[in-house]
Amino acid sequence: MALLPWKHAARESGGQASTFEDLALPLLPSLYNIAFWLSGNAHDAEDLVQEAFLKALRGFTTFEPGTNFRAWIFRILRNTYLTSRTGLASLRTIALENELEEQGESAPGVYPEGAIDRRTPELNLIRLNDSAAVHDAMGKLPPPLLEVILLCDLEEMKYREIATVLEIPIGTVMSRLARARAALRTLLQTDFQQHREFLP
Amino acid sequence: MSAHLSSTVLNGLVDGELSADQLAAAQAHLDHCPACTSDALAQTLLKRSVARAGQRYAPPPALGGRLKRLASDNAIQTNSAQPASDREQQFRFTLRPALAGWAVAAVLLLAATEVVVTQHRAQTFNAASAQRAALVTEVCDLHVATLAAGLPPQVISTDRHTVKPWFEGKIPFSFNLPVDLPADTKLDGANLNYLENQPVAQLLYSIGHHRVSVFIRQRTSAGAMDSLAAEHSGFDVSGFSTDDLEVVAVSDVDPARLSDLMSRFEGSQTTNSR
Repeated sequence: MALLPWKHAARESGGQASTFEDLALPLLPSLYNIAFWLSGNAHDAEDLVQEAFLKALRGFTTFEPGTNFRAWIFRILRNTYLTSRTGLASLRTIALENELEEQGESAPGVYPEGAIDRRTPELNLIRLNDSAAVHDAMGKLPPPLLEVILLCDLEEMKYREIATVLEIPIGTVMSRLARARAALRTLLQTDFQQHREFLP
Repeated sequence: MSAHLSSTVLNGLVDGELSADQLAAAQAHLDHCPACTSDALAQTLLKRSVARAGQRYAPPPALGGRLKRLASDNAIQTNSAQPASDREQQFRFTLRPALAGWAVAAVLLLAATEVVVTQHRAQTFNAASAQRAALVTEVCDLHVATLAAGLPPQVISTDRHTVKPWFEGKIPFSFNLPVDLPADTKLDGANLNYLENQPVAQLLYSIGHHRVSVFIRQRTSAGAMDSLAAEHSGFDVSGFSTDDLEVVAVSDVDPARLSDLMSRFEGSQTTNSR
């Protein structure tokens, strides 16, 4: 997959740049984009990024050079989001998910295979390159599933990196990812079927 | 034919997270299973579609400039906090040889200094304002989160002699609680919380049916809570600093009643009452 210019900049500068500004500013588009997805509006996204930026700036002395700055600052952004008013609803969602995990429904490898429809009728929709449909479906995901799929597919983070950002075990990353993708495919499939019903 | 690939393996495949052995096994399966091949293709397409649809919101241009200024201001403050010995050494090795040239430019520098100082003051003021706004937001968020959680305080007591000792060993400072509270005000308990990544004592009071959070932490060099009085999302925030502590309260109660409580807090910090 082709990298966006700012992603090139972020990766090429990794390990060499030493100032906070050099490390953080190239990540601004990415931080803002994730903040917008999580908060749902431009004003809150801007506040979230600015607050996270300030926290990171103040805590930069505790950051160990050579370690993963991107995961570090994303974790700060995510924690800032969780303590914001818009993050309270997601905290409740996470609490629900924890209950599911306690019941063993999200342990890695035991994700219900019935959730995958191997006939993949929504494939037609994806082939149509309908970004709007995918965007709408993403907007319907609960925050814990949305954030994991954004970090994986959009930010191209490895599972270990995502686990660091979200402060959860890798197994939970895998189960959330499986659940997020299954939910997206279900949403797209439902959307596809509804569109077909309206066709002449 | 072996069983179909699990969702975990399919996701690991499209995310490049499989080990060499797992990848070889998955590929061997895909060679003979059209259903899983179709599914792997669907997952790959979904991943690409998400990446495309997700990259949607660009930051406003002003935000980048604002954050850059904040980072620069911080760098300026860090440099000014450099140890004197370092600065002297820097001066000896890098600046003295240029003194002759600087003498010629001294007049120009004096003129330029005033401009720079004015700009620096404006930048420092902006940074301090932004820091204070972020603090008010975080204090309100912590208060709202406490109310929304609906959990009992970590220490439940109306007795200040029970609440205060509970923090021993949990926070690196001590504080006094007011002996006499305003009318209709009672202590509900307290939590250990974190504000700007620092441990704080969160004291919970009720004024009538209104809930109040009073956060106490060690004073920072910036003194961000000096004479703080702000309104945020319907909540009033009031704060003060002593030589060692910073105290900030947040509530939706009448501001005058909140101020009354804070005055008693401020008074109790200067007395010896424990």
